[in-house]
Amino acid sequence: MAGGLACLLLFGWGGVKISWEKAMTQAQRKATYGFRGPTAVAIREKVGQGLALAALGGFRGLAANALMLQAHTAWEQQQWVRVRSSLELATLLQPRVAVFWDTASWHLAWNAAVAAERYGGEPNETRRRIEARRWVEAGRDLLERGTKAVPERALLFQRLGDLYWQRLGDYQAAAECYREAITKGDAPPYLERFVGYALDKAGDKKAALTYFRNLRAQMGSLPASERRPEVVDREIHRLEKELSAGVSSEKK
Amino acid sequence: MIGSLRRIAAVAGNTFLEAVRQKVFAVLLVFGLVLIFGANYFTEFSFQEQFKFLKDLGYAAISLTGLLVGLLGAAQLIPGEIERRTILTALCRPLRRWEFIAGKYAGLALLLAVMVGVMAVAVAGVLGWKEAQLIAREGSDPEVAAAIRAEARDPRLIQAVLLVEVKLAVVAAVAVFFSTVATSTTFVMAMTLMVYLIGHLESVAREQWLESGEVVSWMTKAFLAGVAFLVPDFNLYNLIDEIVAGNVVLWRSTLEVIGYSVVYIAVLLTAASVIFEGRDI
Repeated sequence: MAGGLACLLLFGWGGVKISWEKAMTQAQRKATYGFRGPTAVAIREKVGQGLALAALGGFRGLAANALMLQAHTAWEQQQWVRVRSSLELATLLQPRVAVFWDTASWHLAWNAAVAAERYGGEPNETRRRIEARRWVEAGRDLLERGTKAVPERALLFQRLGDLYWQRLGDYQAAAECYREAITKGDAPPYLERFVGYALDKAGDKKAALTYFRNLRAQMGSLPASERRPEVVDREIHRLEKELSAGVSSEKK
Repeated sequence: MIGSLRRIAAVAGNTFLEAVRQKVFAVLLVFGLVLIFGANYFTEFSFQEQFKFLKDLGYAAISLTGLLVGLLGAAQLIPGEIERRTILTALCRPLRRWEFIAGKYAGLALLLAVMVGVMAVAVAGVLGWKEAQLIAREGSDPEVAAAIRAEARDPRLIQAVLLVEVKLAVVAAVAVFFSTVATSTTFVMAMTLMVYLIGHLESVAREQWLESGEVVSWMTKAFLAGVAFLVPDFNLYNLIDEIVAGNVVLWRSTLEVIGYSVVYIAVLLTAASVIFEGRDI
């Protein structure tokens, strides 16, 4: 009798709790920009038993940290494939940790790519460059996935911009990434100037000048010192000078 | 009503003191504190990663120690009293059985709160220590120093502590429920641990049952529904991971999870009391 009553109570509450849990899960997903995270099956397929147990037992952060430590050790031993697989797994377990994507892409696009460029076992320079490019692209793919997993923060857009600038030489794409980064609330104040620098570097001096002029107008007459209005003024002067010099040489 | 509260408080106080006197809880507390202080030695990473490691390990230490305390404490709660026959002395006094259950649970919850509190202070101490170390080493640039301070003194960590606390309180309530059904402590611990692990997959079972269009046998469906109906969704507490990652978590979401936990605990204790009322001792 008592057991039946208790069961009835638990099942009755179960009916209520399911819809409550559903609503809370949806609200939490909305707060994380619809990002669902990995399923239990995906985790079990890709990590070993111990890590899967930790991850599924509520200690996902610890499992991801263990993988980051593994990646760090592999990096010290220059085992790049192991570095990559550990980093991929860490970002799979905790896709909402921006710093993981950042570190992972840095390892691949910078460390692994430079190691491939300097690899003494491959005498053919073209092959070494192709291999290096492959690592840079792996780093870019990671960052692109990262920006989808943590779209509300500036860090990964900034890093993607840095990667396009420093590793791929695609300044136009870098400018777009910086432009996206500065729309986020946590973007550092210096980043707004990077859009102009990247446009200038891409050879689009007119667009860079327009950008810096708009930026200066946006700052108003009493801008905050950390926005460095004097640097923006200097860039405007320089670009105006360069563009007018270009026009006069064309006329001649 | 006041009489009931007084009796519940007496049982709770007694349960708390009894638990505090047991060496195993002190050992677990020391284990948790060692784990938290040991986390300070990951120094080969960027400061953001170092703080993430510290926070993750800190909260994992709190969760693990709290889980063990909850399991051990609740497992001995009723079966231990029955074994020692001390329950007869307690229940022959003017004390209702539900008051006994509520008092026992309150004592255990108090013990968990104290342990979580002590360990949370230790985590805060370690974060402060790391902050001082990093500022001395890398903080010459005021922007970097400000970023280090923001990581170490993140006020959202209070939300994480509250979430850990209520999650452990739910686990303890599950254990108290099983302790009213079972006669052995091993059974209580095994069942609670199982619910804890399945609870992290409850959302998968629920979604598979309600939202997946897959054709499955009625037995599978019944199993999935059973899990969804009877097991708490421990994935709701994953907000802790978001906080540790440095992402914004609204207080509203935290309070909603706390509300859910409080109602869940109340339901479990009511069911436990109902079962305990009809039990021969």
